[in-house]
Amino acid sequence: MTDPKSDGGVDYQALDLAEGISVEPLTQWRLFRTRFVRHRLAMVSVFVLSVIVAATVLADFLPLANPLRGINDSTGRLANLLSPRSGFWFGTDDLGRDIFSRVVYGGRTSLTIAGLTGLMVASLGTLVGAVAGYYGGWIDSALMRFTDLILSLPLLPVAIVAAASLRQIFQGHEALALAILLGTLLWGSLARIVRAEFLSLREKEFVESARASGARDRRIIFRHILPNALSPIIVNTTLVIGGAIILEAALSFLGFGVAPPTPAWGQMAADGGRVAVTGSGAWWFVVFPSAALIITVLAVNFLGDGLRDALDPTQTIERK
Amino acid sequence: MFQYVVRRLVYGIITLIALSVITFWLMNSTKGDALDRLKSNPRITAEEIQRQTEFYGLDKPKTQQYLTWAKNFVQVWNYPDAWGRSFQGTQKVQALVYQRFGGTLRLMTTALFLAVLIGIPLGIYQALKQYSFFDQTMTTFSFVTYSTPIFVLAIGLQIVMALYLEQWTGVKFFYTSGMNSVHYADFSFWARIGDTAQHLFLPSISIALISIAGYSRYQRASMLEVMHSDYLRTAKAKGLSRRSVIVKHALRNALIPIVTLVSLDIAGLLGGAVITESIFGWPGMGRLYIQAITANDWPEVMAVVMIIGFMVVVMNLLADLSYGWLDPRVRYD
Repeated sequence: MTDPKSDGGVDYQALDLAEGISVEPLTQWRLFRTRFVRHRLAMVSVFVLSVIVAATVLADFLPLANPLRGINDSTGRLANLLSPRSGFWFGTDDLGRDIFSRVVYGGRTSLTIAGLTGLMVASLGTLVGAVAGYYGGWIDSALMRFTDLILSLPLLPVAIVAAASLRQIFQGHEALALAILLGTLLWGSLARIVRAEFLSLREKEFVESARASGARDRRIIFRHILPNALSPIIVNTTLVIGGAIILEAALSFLGFGVAPPTPAWGQMAADGGRVAVTGSGAWWFVVFPSAALIITVLAVNFLGDGLRDALDPTQTIERK
Repeated sequence: MFQYVVRRLVYGIITLIALSVITFWLMNSTKGDALDRLKSNPRITAEEIQRQTEFYGLDKPKTQQYLTWAKNFVQVWNYPDAWGRSFQGTQKVQALVYQRFGGTLRLMTTALFLAVLIGIPLGIYQALKQYSFFDQTMTTFSFVTYSTPIFVLAIGLQIVMALYLEQWTGVKFFYTSGMNSVHYADFSFWARIGDTAQHLFLPSISIALISIAGYSRYQRASMLEVMHSDYLRTAKAKGLSRRSVIVKHALRNALIPIVTLVSLDIAGLLGGAVITESIFGWPGMGRLYIQAITANDWPEVMAVVMIIGFMVVVMNLLADLSYGWLDPRVRYD
């Protein structure tokens, strides 16, 4: 560090520490990071989600039991409904399969579907909202009427009947079918938000300047306006992913999701519930898949909240 | 205003047509022809097949089948024959669905009643005691409940409130299946009410819990916003009592947004009912819907989905109208 006296007698760094102000210019990214890191629950959620995602991605390399095959004990009998113990942290299910391993592999199914749904929602919603908001006029009316139509369909009943027939068409690729189905049903609210952003941004001076310098529509939409509308897209997509995990779990709970024996959290909770309600006392069979589900959705929702607070501090937290 | 309502009704009808086309197409896109399935079912006689074929036009192309269905379906006044017979047996679809609608209505109204009665006062109280221990606890509860799928809540309640509670106390507090006991008809008046409540409580509270979480969050935010408004500061400055400020000035405006939320939530409650009815063996439309889809019985599926769609459309319209009625600043265009 240089001598404070040499800089006109002002010690910026000491001033920073004393007054809590910084003379260094803060970039958007640094502002975002500072605010996000301060959101304690969001930081915990990032950690929890990282662990869950890493476990599901690396499941094949972890020392896990086969999630599809039952385990026999030393006498050769099927070791079904073992309570949690060393070796079987979460116990075994009614077919003697290791529940810990099934929760990890089930997470792979559930998170893949939710992630693909998120991708689909983000791209479809952004595209429809951007085109409607930017062009306006009859294109806007037509696209928004269509969006309203999608949004006014009763979500779960339509999802159930669609899942029931799509899983027959996409036999063996149910995860893909479910992602396409959920993506098709859930993009509406994002399209509305993006449209509203584009409606106000397209009137701004920087758009006019871009147009004056001869930029084409596509360039204005994707290079000039979209980066400014990114915050609500990120936040909304995160919250939609949380909803998609719950919806996928509900479908697989009802038996319209991923076909067994492939594990999925909702389907495991359904089997576990069926066993527990008979009074077998096998609480672990229903508790661990359900807990995985709740913790993941909670973390995704907190992450969405943290992102919203950090990306757009003017927006008040309003939860339905 | 009149124009607005008419336009919304036209949109509502378009939505219902789209819903019926989508559902019809989805139900007919797999597992071959309905006619082939009927023929391969040994329990259905040739005479019944003949009757179904004529009524639904099953030997005609799909488009014509859809139009035949639509023409019959809109004639709801021809009870109970308008919607034809189920593909699973000889039951009349309209009679069956109307009867099951009663079950769903009982469950839904109870759940809505519980949700409004608990959720809204909870939110108001939280706003008045902002950042207190109670407020923080209930906020945590809301976040966790909101992130919990309804089937987890339902199973959890079944296991803890019915199974374990009975094991610990030896007394049966709540039932986990059905709408009434087998010997319901022999019970006295009070025993009937008790029996109904014992059956109704767990399924309705599991539907209501998620709404309670939502309503209380929303009511808390809405109340806080009003509490910080200028006109409320004026009311306080005038020297009005705290009670008068809260009840007469704050509550009136803080309750407006929740009316819209509650009417929009009906669609979500209906969705929740589909799952809850299946878990609690509740004889309502939701369970009928799941059974009909599994059995590929499209007349039943269409009937249920159209009733749910109709309720959603009507509730959405009522939500928007109630908002303008309660808040004169809202303009329709």
